[in-house]
Parts: sequence; structure tokens; C-alpha cells
Amino acid sequence: MQVVEQGTAAFQILKCDLMPNESIIVEPGAMASQDVGIVPDTSVNGSFIKALLLKFLGGESFFINEYFNKSSKPQSLYISQSVPGDIQVIDINNEEIFLESGSFIARTQGVKTHLRWAGLASFIAGEGLFKLSFTGQGRLWFGCYGAVVEKEIVGDYIVDSGHLLLWPSTVQLELKLAGGLISSFLSKEGFVLKLKGHGKIKLQTRSVKGLAAWLNARFWR
Amino acid sequence: MENQKMSFELQHRPSSTIAICHLPAGETLVSEGGALMALKGPVNVNTTTHQKKGGGVMAGLKRLLSGESFFMNHYQAQQASQVWLCSALPGDMMVHQLTGQKIIVAGGAFVACDSDVAIDLEWQGLKSIFSGESLFWIKAHGHGEILLSSFGFIYPIQVEGEYIVDTGHIVAFEETLSFTISKASSTWLDSFMSGEGFVCRFKGRGTVWCQSHNPSQYGSLLTPYLRPKSN
Repeated sequence: MQVVEQGTAAFQILKCDLMPNESIIVEPGAMASQDVGIVPDTSVNGSFIKALLLKFLGGESFFINEYFNKSSKPQSLYISQSVPGDIQVIDINNEEIFLESGSFIARTQGVKTHLRWAGLASFIAGEGLFKLSFTGQGRLWFGCYGAVVEKEIVGDYIVDSGHLLLWPSTVQLELKLAGGLISSFLSKEGFVLKLKGHGKIKLQTRSVKGLAAWLNARFWR
Repeated sequence: MENQKMSFELQHRPSSTIAICHLPAGETLVSEGGALMALKGPVNVNTTTHQKKGGGVMAGLKRLLSGESFFMNHYQAQQASQVWLCSALPGDMMVHQLTGQKIIVAGGAFVACDSDVAIDLEWQGLKSIFSGESLFWIKAHGHGEILLSSFGFIYPIQVEGEYIVDTGHIVAFEETLSFTISKASSTWLDSFMSGEGFVCRFKGRGTVWCQSHNPSQYGSLLTPYLRPKSN
């Protein structure tokens, strides 16, 4: 299998070439165009209960689409995302990484998804009770709104919750008010995430919630 | 001067593309309402519901159904002029030279064309109702340039045999291709569950231009965060 990123920094998509019998798991709705030898197979994301949990608690899809090349020739598939921005790949080798829900695009068969308890504070801040994790062996593609910024964390680091994209299990998250109770409200920063530990995290330079807030302020005046 | 034709020049590609139309004296540019960014030179602007070469109010009504605007603007240059055109979403544009052949443009992608290009709405039949895209697509034919826009960048696919494109990713295709709207998976249940919905299955030989991003998907991602009117 060969997967290349195409397009410009603002609008990346993936062109995935599958050899006969190869397959790739793709986020529902992400297929843009494809050769006819590639056939999607839709199945429940893990067990029925796990899929239900992933959907309602992890913000993920209940179903997964696995695209198989069922022909005898190499065939290709274009994979896109909803927002304009970068797409990146990460190799997973038995470590565990966490991904902000909604940024998953595609993975190879060896990569597995799980739900991990995120804590009550996360729920109160509107970030959900659970977080999405990936383990196993293989490649994982994720997308973002805007550009991806990589940051090596040693010790404490603070990010806005809408901008955190990916973090390893060696980094712990703690939800905090951006300042005092009143200044957090006035500065419109609300909650921020305090990261602890060490490892490489990835941030996105734009957030969909940020765009929506900007639009909302201009509607219905 | 009779042989001098208008031409489009694309700038700021590929993420924030605009088109500058170089209009020789006497030539007319037809553009979608709302696409104008700037005008340079003595130009007569005429807004009608139809093209000079046919159509009427009905043509305007049909155009509304295709996701295009009701009115078309006609820019006729008295002397050599420039018309600057843009689109609403960030993305690229393409210029296609028509020399007698026909292309079909998906609703929303049309920006402008030479007045020697005839544009007509084509009813795609009941099959397109279910696709969630517009009922009418634009059929363009004649001699001259046509300007199209996209959300994201455009990648052309040379179809020989069969090819599948998600309906939200189509910009335009040559009329030599026939197509059927079909479900993405082999069963209806799977297609519904898979989130892919409808795809366009092209057959034959010709080019289909696809856009990297899907405007309706972007819209539905944003919608849950938008506030309804509160009064």
C-alpha cells in the first residue's frame, strides 16, 4: 500500500494506492473518489456495545468502512476531510496515542481504537467523559483545521482545548480555568488544558468551535 | 479585432484563487451574480435573468434550482477592459476551453463564461433527487472559455471504463461520459450506515474534474455549533 498526501498546505487529501487484496479503514464520508475495483465493506466498529460507546461517548462513528481492493490490479482511492487543512500520518508501534474526536481519517488494519475514561472535569468542560485512543501496530492518518504544529513537552504546558489534536499516553491532561473564575469568563478563554509529562503533542492552528463562535457573533444582529 | 477573444488569467492559486478576465473591445463576459470583485475600464453591465442567446425568466428560475443565482451579469467592454472575479469559498478555479464539445458543470461550480458559450440547465432526472445535490446541472457548449470554481483544489481524472466520485466532490465532467447515481456499498443498508450516501458512477471515456473538499460536509460539521435566531 502506498499513501501520499496531495494538494497544498491549506487543502490536503490522501491518494491511497491499494494492491490486490489490500485494504484501508476510512472514516465514513471521507471517500472523495475511487476506482471501481475498490469495494467498501461496512461493519460495526468493534463489538456492538463498544461501537455504541464509541459513537455516543467518544464522538466517533458507529460503523467503520474498510475499503478492499477486490480486483486483480492496483487501484486507487482519494480520501478527504471536512475542513480545510493539513493531513498527517503517524506510525504506531504498540504505544498508545490519543486523538481529539473528529480528526481521525484513516488507519491500517493493525491499528485498534479504544475508549478511555477522561474524567468528570472533562465532561463539565464539554469535552466528553471519554477520550479516544489508538494502539496496536500500523499507520494512522489524522486531519486538522489549519496547520499542524508539533511541540515537545517536558513538564507543564498549557493549550486551549479546541486546539489540541494528538497526544501520547506519557502526557496527562488536566482541565483548568484559564484564569480566575471572572477573568476566565471575561477573556473568553474558559477552560484550558494543562499538560503534564513528556512527549510529542500536536496542535491545530484553527478550531471549528472558534469559527462557529466568530460566525455566531455576526448572525441575527 | 473580430478574432480577439476574451481570456481568463488565474491569480493567487490554489487556495485563494481569483480570475482576471481580459475583455477586448466589443466582447461580452457572462458571469454568475455575486462573483464580481472589481472592474477596470469602460464596461456596460447588464443584469438579466437569461443569457442573450436564449432562455427567459424560466431559465432564471431553473438556475435557482441548480444552486446558482437567478440573475446573470453581462459585462460588455466598450474598450479593452478587465473584470475580476472571485468565489465565496476558499479554493481553486479552472479555465476550460470549449471547442464545440459539451461539459456538464455541477451546481455551484459555475462562475463565468464567454458569451459564445451557451449555458443551459439540464434536468438530471429523478435519480439526482436522492443524491442530496441539486436537481439541475449546467450544460455548457459552444466555442470559448468557461471559468469554474471549487472548494479546495481540483484534480482531473481521465476515465477509461468506470470511475466512482462522491456526488459532493464533482466539479464538472465531459458529456462523453454517461453516469448513474448509485449507492456507495452493495446493499442499501450498508450505504446508509456507511455515511457515504450517494456516489456518481461514470462510464465511458472522458475527463471528470473532482474537488478535494465537499462544501456540504463542511457545512454540516459547522451547523451544530451555530446558534439559531433568538427572538
